[in-house]
Amino acid sequence: MTFSGKKAIRYFLAIILIFSLNFAIPRAMPGDPLANLLGEDVMLTEESIAELRAKMGLDLPLHEQFLAYWRDIFSFDLGYSYHLHSPVSAIILSRMKWTLLLAIPSLILGAILGTFLGALAGWKSRDAGQKFETGLVLMIYCTPPYFLSLLFLYALSFKLGLFPLKGFYSTGSALDIAHHLMLPVIVMTLFSLSRNYMIMRGSVIQERGNLYAAYARAKGLYGEEILFRHIFKNAILPIITLLALDFGFILSGALFIEIVFSMNGMGNLIYDALLSRDYPVLQGSFLVITVMVVSANLLADLLYSRIDPRVRWQ
Amino acid sequence: MAGDFNRVASCKATEWAKILRLDMRGLRIALFGLLLFLTIFILAAFSDIFAPYDPWNRFEPFLAPCREHILGTNDLGNDILSELIYGSRVSLIVGFGAALMATLIGTLIGLFAGYFRGLMDETLMGITDVFLMIPQIPLIIILAAFLRPSFWLVALIMGALWWTSTARVVRSKAMQIRETSFIECSRSLGFSHMHIIFSDILPNILHVIMPKFLLTIASAMISEASISFLGLGDPTMKSWGMMINFAFTRGGFINGYWWWYLPPGLCITLSVLSLVLMGFSLEEREEETMRIE
Repeated sequence: MTFSGKKAIRYFLAIILIFSLNFAIPRAMPGDPLANLLGEDVMLTEESIAELRAKMGLDLPLHEQFLAYWRDIFSFDLGYSYHLHSPVSAIILSRMKWTLLLAIPSLILGAILGTFLGALAGWKSRDAGQKFETGLVLMIYCTPPYFLSLLFLYALSFKLGLFPLKGFYSTGSALDIAHHLMLPVIVMTLFSLSRNYMIMRGSVIQERGNLYAAYARAKGLYGEEILFRHIFKNAILPIITLLALDFGFILSGALFIEIVFSMNGMGNLIYDALLSRDYPVLQGSFLVITVMVVSANLLADLLYSRIDPRVRWQ
Repeated sequence: MAGDFNRVASCKATEWAKILRLDMRGLRIALFGLLLFLTIFILAAFSDIFAPYDPWNRFEPFLAPCREHILGTNDLGNDILSELIYGSRVSLIVGFGAALMATLIGTLIGLFAGYFRGLMDETLMGITDVFLMIPQIPLIIILAAFLRPSFWLVALIMGALWWTSTARVVRSKAMQIRETSFIECSRSLGFSHMHIIFSDILPNILHVIMPKFLLTIASAMISEASISFLGLGDPTMKSWGMMINFAFTRGGFINGYWWWYLPPGLCITLSVLSLVLMGFSLEEREEETMRIE
């Protein structure tokens, strides 16, 4: 079996496993599966309960339910939210773009800043200034993202009034949205930066002990030249895979940051669904996030085999 | 001649001092982390001695810091300092429980994959790759939403999800060690596979597992704080994440009662930091010794 074939099977299995888990959770949990599928606090009469049970196929044997579940997935039907009175897929679609608007710029900024600062920190790891910087980044690394955003929100928005307090927009113009997004993006960037920074720093420390680095110095190259011409290329490889895995992490971080900044993206959708026990929305969100994370991983794998010739020849 | 010898000796001494200092430098950071961690651990173990009040006791609500209540009281009138001290318990229990389970699973999977290789390796690493891709926080949220929140459950789910990176590291180390000659010796002496794995290979990778264990505790603690912040925490126990959640949803944040949300946040950061410092410096020392070899 080829390298890519093996990988493809793993991705396929991951998707199957997670979707099946999603099928099993509401049916295996204590309580009536109907309540688990509709969400609690939905008031229904006896007749409509029987009717819904038949409509959702809960009176069928499990394997037929499983097939019906997959049929729904392939027609992008993620169920109906009785709390928000609309199909789950439509709700998620309208919320997801806001979350991506927050997550993707932070992911890119965090990757660029994190790798560069981390590379420099690893190169001069004994320098006092760099040590201070590393300590600072380590503090951010150890802080839950929502606490960091609470601190920023309090200091910069409450006390100094530099940024708006909540939401994605108030007037809706591009400038207004950018102004609202600024602070959450800064927090998210710091958060993603801290992770890339620590990995890149370790990676550079490891690489700089190699013989090719010593050879570059013997050739007469200067410090930063060796770092960016030779070491950087090798040290950045772990980051590429990590970025994809981190995509899920960043997305989860974005959920919490949205809650603190009261932004109407996926995070608040999930938070509200939690408070009202709106299970269809919770499950749908979980599925969509999973599919996004798995595709990000697939993308990273393809990219990796393009960049690193050693992988291509395997 | 003697002078020459002396010079050689003194040169060696400085070399040794250099190596020792290098060692000490890594250790100093680890030691700082250990001290910080021990402080938190002692606070958690003897909460009833250190806490001035029972955290469920009610006093006048929304008190600012004063002599009787050093960090004031919350909306229900609970003493915040006492809540803070008792809150360390949940963090540590969840962190340790999850990390213990994750490390156990990860070590076993890594050992078997690395030792047997072949089909076993393919299957186990395939499973690891699949688990690596599951978005963990959303899965924990959804499971905790369906089941009634309890901190044992949160620890259990995290333990079942977080063994992947340990498994990978243990596998690559086990693959290295299985090629060494002392393993070959054991094999030719006729020891069973299980004996070789657990008495020959395992002791030689404990130093890799240890930092991973510490870092897993750290991430479990951060996640517990996040889950509690969403209101999915155990209602029978006070936890730091929950305190921040209450401060955020019940007006402590908007009114600027910093004594309500700042201390629990700092406690989370410091306890995570203590573990990360130990974990990172142990990992770095490991790399240093590898290079000297």
